Amino acid sequence: MALFEILQYVIIGLYLVGTGAFLAGSLVSRNSLIRVGNIFAVLGFIMHTVDLTVAVTLYHETVLDGGYFYYSILGWGLILVYFFFWWKFRNTFFALTASPLALLLFISSLAAQSLKVTLPKHLAGLFIGLHIGTIFVSIALMAMAAGAGAAFLYLNNKIKSKAAISGFGKDMPSLNSFDRINHWAIVVGFPLYTLGLAAGFLWARSVYKQMFSWDPKEIVTLVVWFLFAFLFHQRIALGWKGRKPAMLVIIVFVITMVSLWGINFFMNTHHSFKP
Amino acid sequence: MDQNIYLIGLNHHTAGVDVRERYALTNVENFEKGLMKVPGVREVMALSTCNRVEVVVVGEVELKQDSIYQYWSGKCCGDASCLEENSYIYRGIDAVRHLFEVASSLDSMIIGEPQILGQLKKSYRNAVEEGSAGTIINRILHKAFFVAKRVRTETDIASSAVSISYAAVELAKKIFGDLKGHQAMLIGAGEMAELAVAHLKRYGVEKVLIANRTFASAQELAECMDGEAVPFEDLYMHVGDSDIIISSTGAPYAVIKAKEMKKVLRKRKNRPMFFIDIAVPRDIDPDVNSLDNVYLYDIDDLKDVVEENRAQRMDEAVKAKNIVHGEAEHFSGWLKSLDLQPTIVDLFSRADNVAHKELAKTVKRLGIKDEETLLALETLATSIGKKLLHEPVSFLKRRTEEEGAAERFVDLARRMFNLDNETIPTNAHCNRKKNCCRKDEG
Repeated sequence: MALFEILQYVIIGLYLVGTGAFLAGSLVSRNSLIRVGNIFAVLGFIMHTVDLTVAVTLYHETVLDGGYFYYSILGWGLILVYFFFWWKFRNTFFALTASPLALLLFISSLAAQSLKVTLPKHLAGLFIGLHIGTIFVSIALMAMAAGAGAAFLYLNNKIKSKAAISGFGKDMPSLNSFDRINHWAIVVGFPLYTLGLAAGFLWARSVYKQMFSWDPKEIVTLVVWFLFAFLFHQRIALGWKGRKPAMLVIIVFVITMVSLWGINFFMNTHHSFKP
Repeated sequence: MDQNIYLIGLNHHTAGVDVRERYALTNVENFEKGLMKVPGVREVMALSTCNRVEVVVVGEVELKQDSIYQYWSGKCCGDASCLEENSYIYRGIDAVRHLFEVASSLDSMIIGEPQILGQLKKSYRNAVEEGSAGTIINRILHKAFFVAKRVRTETDIASSAVSISYAAVELAKKIFGDLKGHQAMLIGAGEMAELAVAHLKRYGVEKVLIANRTFASAQELAECMDGEAVPFEDLYMHVGDSDIIISSTGAPYAVIKAKEMKKVLRKRKNRPMFFIDIAVPRDIDPDVNSLDNVYLYDIDDLKDVVEENRAQRMDEAVKAKNIVHGEAEHFSGWLKSLDLQPTIVDLFSRADNVAHKELAKTVKRLGIKDEETLLALETLATSIGKKLLHEPVSFLKRRTEEEGAAERFVDLARRMFNLDNETIPTNAHCNRKKNCCRKDEG
């Protein structure tokens, strides 16, 4: 087995243990387990960074052509955003969203290793920076907002229905903190998403000579953008808070995930990773 | 052991408040000192709170308990038979177990409330000052504090609110997180509402508005609570500025209506609000709870929360009882060891253990295989242990023949050689060390 392959199994192992520790720690309310989860997340992240660096250095000619790279860097970005939330909000709750998603994305990246995407070489740098970078960070933020949204809905329902807040709910942060994270992720995520989308359309014009080609991915992405824009507007202009933005951001995130796995793997699109 | 532990007491289960107050010892001076003079009594500690009065006595096996009832009722100008009728008595390990349960708040009216531990510490300090706490009471109380700490850390017995105002504060924290920078408003007045506001302030709520139909009463209350009185006519305006609203007016109709609240919410950009309606009939339209970002709890909802938390505490109490029983068993082992014979056996076996361990190390290091040498070394090691212990054991035998000194010296020997294999905390005796320092400084 090549060293590179061993590294990938190590990363999967670290993320797996980390995710398990986060889940167990949250279920039985043990901070020590959460700390273990964080240690594994950090180790996994370091290894993941090494893996990505090696991939880019060794295969810099072909790395951008493989589906592997895109899933992997999305998972990596997700963990990075989690670390940011951990530092900014002193809250490890989002490990529950970030850690399993990063694990799934990394495993998907291995499944997509043999898959190819078409990419004009001369635009690669700009493309990665603007299109992939911004879209992926905004998806990571969306994941955090959706995680915060789900937690908000759970706790909101408990408090509204006057049910006992025990076990898992007892150690949860307050409704307000979930809403703040949701707000923050949407306010930062939407402009990034818009920027990424614009870069994508400009790039499409230069490659396919038309901005919009009724590609399934493009259609879904536009739908997501409209929903995201609506959410952004309601939050900023109308002061939407709590339940509504939480629900909407979950819908937006689910559509994005379906698009990421369903469309890229199984449909004919510019973004296809089909062999 | 030629002595026993007795615990005589009355609490909220066995005696009404009139009986408890009659036999309370809060204002009785030198109770312990006096009881020490009763024949057969060796150690005494008395605990007196509003829910319980208990006296722990270490005395001879033949101690006449009637004499304790007589003394106690005499001190309180009461009747000994009435005291006996309303009280319970535990002996030996049952007394120890009961005291551990009291310290861990398993016998309290509200299980898990921490006040009792403080009261017990105070009573113990008092007994130490009066000179009525000896080896056994010292040991029981230290162990009781340790058990109480274990129960608090290993179970969730005290983790949820069991009073209405604490439940309100906990819910507010679940909604807003940190309460700092939030504003509360009190509509109407009432003891429970004021208590809730006081709790909210303690947890960081900075500003409190008070609205009352009679503005003068609002002002009076505002002064007393360090809040700000506002006119009742501008109610909705001020409600809109506040995050937590506690209402307890005597109005026969809803003071706050859902329809009006929709406008208020739009104005405050949907920032969450928490309403606590303590009034009966209710002040706040129940439909308010169906609005997004508004949470309404009335008195029954809060009572339900408290009840559920109580039920949860009862579950935790089962776990706690297991801890207490285990520790009581352990303690009973120590009590038995206070006789001289088991301690001598333990001392020799400790010495033997150490000798053999060291011997094994040396034999391994030097690689000795010769049977004869091995036998000689073994004899040497065990006889050093025995010779070394000969004098201390004779000393112990001599001293334990003296009146009342047996436990003290046996306990001292057990502690010196750590025969009970206890882990000594790093801060052990820090109080005494501090006292020394103070004396030095003085």
